[in-house]
Amino acid sequence: MIKSTGTTQLTLLPQAPQADRTIRPVRPAAPQQTSPQRRSSLWYCLTLPALDTLPPHQQEDCLDQLAQLSQAFSSAISLHPQALVFEIRSGLNYFGGAESLHAKYQQEVEQLLTRLASNYGVSAEQLAFNFAACPTIEGSLLLARGNGNTLVYRKENLHSALGQLPIESLQVKPEPQRRLINMGIRHLGDLWRLPPAGLRRRFGSDFLELINKALGKAPEPIKNYLPPPAFVHSYELPYEVENLSLLRPVVDEMIAQLCDFLRHRELCASSIKLTLIHEQREATPLEVGLRQASRSQQHLMLLIDTHIENLQIPAPVTALHLEVIQFDAFMSHSESLLVGVDKEANNTGDPAAASLEQFMERLQARLGGDPIKGLNSIEEHCPEYASETVRPGENATASATPKNPRPLWLLDEPLRLSLRRGSLYHRQAITLLSGPERIEARWWSGSEVCRDYYVARETGGSRLWIYREREGDRHWYLHGYFA
Amino acid sequence: MANAPTIETAIDQLLESNRSLWRGCNRDRLDSEGITTGFALLDEALPERGWPPQGVIEVLSKQPGIGELQLFVPLMRELIASGHWILWIAPPYSPYAPGLAQAGIDLRRILVVGQVEATEDSPKKSTRGIPANEALWSMEKALQIQHCGLVMAWRDALPQRQLRRLQLAAMTGKTLGVLFMRKNSEHSPSSMRLKIEALKHGAEELTAIVVLKAKGRFHPKTVHVQLTGARP
Repeated sequence: MIKSTGTTQLTLLPQAPQADRTIRPVRPAAPQQTSPQRRSSLWYCLTLPALDTLPPHQQEDCLDQLAQLSQAFSSAISLHPQALVFEIRSGLNYFGGAESLHAKYQQEVEQLLTRLASNYGVSAEQLAFNFAACPTIEGSLLLARGNGNTLVYRKENLHSALGQLPIESLQVKPEPQRRLINMGIRHLGDLWRLPPAGLRRRFGSDFLELINKALGKAPEPIKNYLPPPAFVHSYELPYEVENLSLLRPVVDEMIAQLCDFLRHRELCASSIKLTLIHEQREATPLEVGLRQASRSQQHLMLLIDTHIENLQIPAPVTALHLEVIQFDAFMSHSESLLVGVDKEANNTGDPAAASLEQFMERLQARLGGDPIKGLNSIEEHCPEYASETVRPGENATASATPKNPRPLWLLDEPLRLSLRRGSLYHRQAITLLSGPERIEARWWSGSEVCRDYYVARETGGSRLWIYREREGDRHWYLHGYFA
Repeated sequence: MANAPTIETAIDQLLESNRSLWRGCNRDRLDSEGITTGFALLDEALPERGWPPQGVIEVLSKQPGIGELQLFVPLMRELIASGHWILWIAPPYSPYAPGLAQAGIDLRRILVVGQVEATEDSPKKSTRGIPANEALWSMEKALQIQHCGLVMAWRDALPQRQLRRLQLAAMTGKTLGVLFMRKNSEHSPSSMRLKIEALKHGAEELTAIVVLKAKGRFHPKTVHVQLTGARP
């Protein structure tokens, strides 16, 4: 069980303004004092001081989960390093006061963190937490990092509440920290007595800004936490469907909703999953990965059709479930895959290029992976490295071709030729036509290539590209066909 | 009988004005114009004076390397020049880029389907092959793309029903498909069926191309072509 580090009750600090204290305000705060009734916001802060001992992705995930949990308590949530702040004043009436909100929240946070600790395989101490609430964001962060478990309702009390905190809780860099200590400043309260102009000169305007923000004297712009988009949609069919083509209108409707969702959020889907649910049988999942993120209904439908086309289902379909696995930002001018070559063709609306791209998309949806490749020729002596497959459209401009003949087919693995009574055999006897062409390359790579290449003719008429190794056993190999 | 030839010409004209009428005796005159094969002798032997502009061509050869690709190199060049694409579906070996570049083929217009990338560390390791039925599906879909260009695939043999599907796809897409096969399939619905055989004619190397079937021709004809003429 994860416990908070301090007492579980929020200690309410004295509410009465201590007017007699000899505070030299950083700036005359007259306007605020004249309107004490103004409802200011109240920020609740949760810090996890030992969170930085976790790997970054777990930190991110942990804060994300906490933020999602906090959405039940507040609509304005902002994430900070190892901390999370949200506004609670607007919800105090609903939750019946800060204490009951705190009790409820603390219980849920403890449950979540216990679960996360076992998920991540970390000790409970690493996810220990602290909390505080006060009218400013920076203030609540400072309070939570300091003693924790503090509640300050009014801005006027911030001076005294923050003043008690040790100077370390500001978490400034070691050098300014040392200077602060040397100046004899042990608590934040000591800072209140110093002239702001002097503080700015010594520690920079960022430092002063931080203090002003904490005291509610400077505006605190916040970046609201936005939950990641999610699209999950289910449809119960009124009757069991065995003929998959009857599902099409339903799927079409679901995809239309998905596309609306994507359009409203300026998003694209790059991977979607449609699950066909059967009675008493395991559901059939259809995962559709897109070459290029899209939000076109027609396009997505086409891909799903490709999948459904030759799908075997174990039982009639009773329900459908559509989910987006991967979102992508929407680009209004998505680049064509066949860039370069095809630019002019696309602009003029060449139907062949457009449908070719669609074909590639369908092919990928059906076969998975990257089934379609372009070819590229490289200026390289070693024959097997002189040709490479690239993504379509990424071919380099034509490089110089070798002067000696090169075959149209290359074997992936050179085939050893046999020698029978002094003549070479593949399937039939081989006679050399031309050569040798000596190729020596890759001496640096450990697998040195020292070969004499010949063009040869098999009795049956095939033209072969064969080579003899110049080292070792001097075997003959077949490396290509002129075809 | 001075006016007899004029009557014949009149009948000729009458028959030719009806395009749905096909006359077996007059096989060299077909309305549609084919794409030149790049080999004058072969052009001469084909009813459309070249490759059919659409449909499936079956090419039979017993072994690889006897010039089956050379035969289509001029066609590939021609199609690429007019902005089309060449699709290689599940080729049996790696198409070799330097060789293709030497043959004057623009590599940027070539797409290979169903070949897994050979990595820098192990250029030899490349697992090819998408399942046979997927290759056929790919070919059918590729042929259906309007004016895609040339789609090539390799099979040992194909049942008639699947050949018919491919032929139909090629006709709808107005695309040319080439199927390299080992075994002859009787009564195939494809537009053209060729057989390639190597010959040794003295010092000269020739390739015999037997036109087994072509729309508009009804008995086989053999042409001897020097495919590898430019080669040393």
